[in-house]
Amino acid sequence: MRRDPLGITLAFAMALSISPATSAQTKQPAVPPKSSRPDQAHDLSGVWFDDHPRLIRVQERYWAYTFTPEAPPLTPWAQAKFNAAKSSFGPHAVPLVETTDPLYHTCAPIGFPIAYLYPLPMQIVQTPGEVILLFEWDSLRHQIFTDGRKHDETLGPLWMGDSIGHWEGDTLVADTVNFNDKTWLDRMGHPHSDALHVIERIRRVDHDHLVDDITIEDPKAYTKLWTAHLPFVLKPKWTLAEQFCEDEESFQTIDKDAAAPAK
Amino acid sequence: MRKRPLGVALAFAMVLRFSPAASAQSKQPSKPAAPSSADQAHDLSGIWFDDRPRPVTVNARYWTYKFNAEEPPMTAWGLAQYNATKSSFGTRAYPLAETNDPVYHTCAPPGFPRVFLHPYPIEIVQTPGEVIMLFEYDSLRHQIFTDGRAHDTTLGPLWMGDSIGHWEGDTLVADTVNFNDKTWLDRIGHPHSESLHIVERIRRVDHDHLVDDITIDDPKAYTKPWSTHIEFGLRPKWTLAEQFCEDEESFQTIDKDSAMPAK
Repeated sequence: MRRDPLGITLAFAMALSISPATSAQTKQPAVPPKSSRPDQAHDLSGVWFDDHPRLIRVQERYWAYTFTPEAPPLTPWAQAKFNAAKSSFGPHAVPLVETTDPLYHTCAPIGFPIAYLYPLPMQIVQTPGEVILLFEWDSLRHQIFTDGRKHDETLGPLWMGDSIGHWEGDTLVADTVNFNDKTWLDRMGHPHSDALHVIERIRRVDHDHLVDDITIEDPKAYTKLWTAHLPFVLKPKWTLAEQFCEDEESFQTIDKDAAAPAK
Repeated sequence: MRKRPLGVALAFAMVLRFSPAASAQSKQPSKPAAPSSADQAHDLSGIWFDDRPRPVTVNARYWTYKFNAEEPPMTAWGLAQYNATKSSFGTRAYPLAETNDPVYHTCAPPGFPRVFLHPYPIEIVQTPGEVIMLFEYDSLRHQIFTDGRAHDTTLGPLWMGDSIGHWEGDTLVADTVNFNDKTWLDRIGHPHSESLHIVERIRRVDHDHLVDDITIDDPKAYTKPWSTHIEFGLRPKWTLAEQFCEDEESFQTIDKDSAMPAK
């Protein structure tokens, strides 16, 4: 398979061209402003992009490869898995040719929640019974059923998990289980098991900003629950492009572009 | 990568369970019913599934692997390409181990419009500026922009193409260009080039039925434009499952299941 350099280059040209405005808006508010209109309360729709500040060096941007600046509370089982993982990110980065990242060599589905860590936008669309996050990267879907159904225990282990949600005020609380154990939790190689349970609290803090507070529970991999905070900013003029994993060259292009300093 | 038989088996269990009803509704109406209410005119949303009858053997159902019963009008180039393909479908089917179907061995995206021929449901969601078809199979998206934009000629060759649309009465007319030439047009190996141009006329003929009249124009591969007609039935109780291509074993399971007689 050959890569599609133009598509990837374009997506990053787009991302970089908008980044000055993004950077100017990225201070995380201590007290988020309230939703400005009541009809926005349950409307998460739009194209969203990571709203962390863009530091110059990619390795200083932990959010490009893991969820929190501090190490998550690994069990001995998970510590052994993490020690065996060879990621091309973080303080223990290995060159791409040496990585054991399952994505880089097989173009396996990215999985969830690691999909949030790739520097590409996502679009939220809503139907009466669903909130659907469409990731540009790998055309992934995170479908959250809000019609009151329970988890479907008959579903096999899934790459993206099985997600149900409900509204608590203006916050969508999404609960995801039924994962397989073939993916890394993040791009740095932290593991998860098929007992992974992800709880998201997704809120549009104002018209242009969305936050996703994610709680990770996985008793096999982590000694306790831990949480991450993902900020997103609305990109009203963006649309999702096509980004399929074709081979590891795709990743080299992505990583090189993402490492370029913000202009 | 290992196969995930449970997910595949489940999807087909679902399909087979609903197939008697589907067959009962699948007679192609000679005069489609008018939309039952005015507000449906531009509402294509819902889960849709191929609504044609399910004969006993997979090879009797041309619509699971090609668009028309008769051969499309191939150019000399198109015919040479076609003769070199080894599909596992149709009258000259090869065993899976011998096929050169690009999807089977590399899990390449099947692309558009081929994805319509894979026996999985689609979900249509709409936003103010888009009609989006979400395919269960391979998590693909067919995003049709209805906000008046023109084709973006700077987009690289794409697996799913670049789609814009407008409404003509109750019909969404979608125009798709900017394809790559890495995919087969269908599952039997008819080719297309980067000049492929697809025009769809998508109409909800009544609440429970949708038709997509597709015109295929590709002067390199075909001597003239040709058309096909796909019928879908609404599946109000279905939701999209997760179906990622992982390896060719997945396809063996799929093909075995889809070759089973309808019950």
